[in-house]
Amino acid sequence: MGIIAGIDIGNATTETAIADIKGNDVSILSSGISMTTGVKGTSENVHGLFSSLTEALKSANIDIKDLSEIRINEAAPVIGDVAMETITETIITESTMIGHNPETPGGLGTGTGYTTLISDINNINDDKEYVVVIPKEVGFEEAAKIINDNSDRLKIQGAIVQSDDGVLINNRINKKIPIVDEVKLIDKVPIGMYSAIEVADVGEVIQVLSNPYGIATLFSLDSEETKHVVPIARALIGNRSAVVVKTPEGDVKERSIPAGFVQFIGDKKTAKVDIDRGAKEIMDTMEKVGKLQDVKGESGTNAGGMFEKVRVVMSQLTKAQPKDIHVQDLLAVDTLTPMAVKGGLANEFSKESAVGVAVMVQADKLQLEQIANDLSNKLNVDVIVGGVEADMAIRGALTTPGTNKPIAILDMGAGSTDASIMTPDGKITSIHLAGAGNMVSMLIQAELGLDDFETAELIKKFPLCKVESMFHVRHEDGTVEFFDKPLNPDTFARVCIITDDGLVPLEDFNSLEPIRQVRRQCKEKVFVTNAVRALTRVSPTNNVRDIQFVVMVGGSALDFEIPQLVTDALSKYSVVSGRGNIRGTEGPRNAVATGLVLSVVEGSV
Amino acid sequence: MAIDEKLIREAVASVLRDLNVEKGESKPVTAHKSNVPLSINFKDSGDAQKGTKSDEVVIGIGPAFGTAQTATIIDLPHDKVIKEVIAGIEEEGCSYRIIRVFQTSDASFIAHNAAKLSGSGIGVGIQSKGTTVIHQKDLPPLANLELFPQAPLLDYEAFRNIGKNAAKYAKGQTPEPIPVKNDQMARPRFQAIAALLHIKETKLCDINKKAQEVAIN
Repeated sequence: MGIIAGIDIGNATTETAIADIKGNDVSILSSGISMTTGVKGTSENVHGLFSSLTEALKSANIDIKDLSEIRINEAAPVIGDVAMETITETIITESTMIGHNPETPGGLGTGTGYTTLISDINNINDDKEYVVVIPKEVGFEEAAKIINDNSDRLKIQGAIVQSDDGVLINNRINKKIPIVDEVKLIDKVPIGMYSAIEVADVGEVIQVLSNPYGIATLFSLDSEETKHVVPIARALIGNRSAVVVKTPEGDVKERSIPAGFVQFIGDKKTAKVDIDRGAKEIMDTMEKVGKLQDVKGESGTNAGGMFEKVRVVMSQLTKAQPKDIHVQDLLAVDTLTPMAVKGGLANEFSKESAVGVAVMVQADKLQLEQIANDLSNKLNVDVIVGGVEADMAIRGALTTPGTNKPIAILDMGAGSTDASIMTPDGKITSIHLAGAGNMVSMLIQAELGLDDFETAELIKKFPLCKVESMFHVRHEDGTVEFFDKPLNPDTFARVCIITDDGLVPLEDFNSLEPIRQVRRQCKEKVFVTNAVRALTRVSPTNNVRDIQFVVMVGGSALDFEIPQLVTDALSKYSVVSGRGNIRGTEGPRNAVATGLVLSVVEGSV
Repeated sequence: MAIDEKLIREAVASVLRDLNVEKGESKPVTAHKSNVPLSINFKDSGDAQKGTKSDEVVIGIGPAFGTAQTATIIDLPHDKVIKEVIAGIEEEGCSYRIIRVFQTSDASFIAHNAAKLSGSGIGVGIQSKGTTVIHQKDLPPLANLELFPQAPLLDYEAFRNIGKNAAKYAKGQTPEPIPVKNDQMARPRFQAIAALLHIKETKLCDINKKAQEVAIN
């Protein structure tokens, strides 16, 4: 037979296996890997394919002329895309609340009084309680002096400050009052209104203003009015400082944004669900319609736009009409994303609910024949397209030491999560589901409010550490690592991602714990959900428990924690699962490419 | 349009006129006030010791700061500058100490000297003309945590933020780097005077004199 190359074009990587075949004897010589160029199944793939092949040939020391055949897998004609839609927003009306949580407020305790500008304080002469409003034109020394001069004469109960002067003023006044600082839009604070201000001690959170009854006590509210302050109290939970101002119509509203409905068209029936009902209802509705034929969004709404965009992108890639693109699977995930609060005075952010959606699109056929022709002309080697992807992946997975039929594989890539199962008699069932590595990155980006997708990718792929001195870092588990040479000054006192190219510092994060939590949750939301979903569908009894062995392959199986999360979740179903080790050397990579060359001998292509 | 010698001469003359240096009349490009009355007194009070408080940030000042020179290159009086830096440190709940460095007039080395004497290992170095560096004791002297190289662009707000960030480093928190402003014209406008102020300060250097503790009142 001679020397044969098997090439697998995936969503993210193109993998090659080169084997020398003599009779029924297959000896694998080398493997290659490179990034997939363009979207899987399009003619742009040729470049990535060529560099992957070159790498494999080089490491085996074989000239391209010696190749007798190249086999490209018949990739499943499915492509994934992701999108996200925010479904709630918070609006503050009449500047009724300040809850931006400055890092260094001043003073301690709770105070109430009528808001008044510090410049007007000399004209006041009564025994009402006051909260002074200090714009940035008044420096901290002057402000402290005015407060001190009037503290015997007037009841000054608190201060709202524009500059970051809270601690400075507090250090200079005789009678301690709570001070909230860094209120950027101070001129919007309503003057002459009754207000309450609270500052908690370092490391603590406010207790009174985050409690509806606390607000009711301070403002003497009746039971009906107390109902209205619940959103204010809720918005202030977890803050170290806050201001609440009582105005005639002031309110904090959490409103849901109408995002439109999606319509699931199944083989049994059709059903509609509003996007703003959240991920669970969307997924439940999808299950009800039976085998999914297509999904449509309400036209003229965000939901409609989202699906239309996916359809247009996919039609451009596959050169098919948008109407011929059918959504074959959808994964919806609830998430929270930080958004600026409308009507806020101090750049308040609030965690708003959002729904992340990954879809799997069925195209007629990918342009693999075209790729094969291009390659064949270029290289002068026979290029054959063949071998069902799932079939090849299982063949490859079976080279993992310690596996046997019946076996199920979970192929966790960047664009899709695929599962297939091989029964003892060799019958193969497979399925492609929406949602994989790219969706995890999208969710991480949204939840952490990151500016760019690249940082989210890095956070997904690598563990974190905090640089505590120029010579040591503290890892996620609390262990300390020392270095002989000083670290890069950019990383000092920062949370960093430990990438292969060194430490990458992150801005705006004081501690690594919230990042780690978000990262793990996003991975669980996508991969654990999809592992269970996929295995349920391929299981002959539709029950995950009836599968004994699961081998995880694909790029996301290389991740430092995804396989553990999935193994842990599947162990609850008493399933043995673990990361594959193709040919005992390749880890979870190269399964399909290996399967392709092995299939030559087994003659099943 | 043809460019001849006459045209060039005219252009040069007009530029020189703008710069007020025509006919050998040497008006300074910017009128630098070399002697502003200060509300605080920078008094050297003995050799500076290494601090032990882990919450302190040491502010290192140049040999001429607050004495031979009293304002930065854009005439911010040194007392107000130092007050802003101190306010920034205080707002973050840290303490400060001021030392005067005599062995060098280089901002980076002043800052590194201060960092080495600082209980937290964080120091701020300020040249009399205003150039400022935030430093850490374990870094090589010419590296830095944050560098503000263009003194003409440092206003009071910048000095406050420098103090704040230094304190945050001392606390092991993650400060947002202060946006470093850049002005293409700062260099030509201030280069001569910057050089002059730096030379004046360097003349006051004394390689054999240890850094001095500075008391302000």
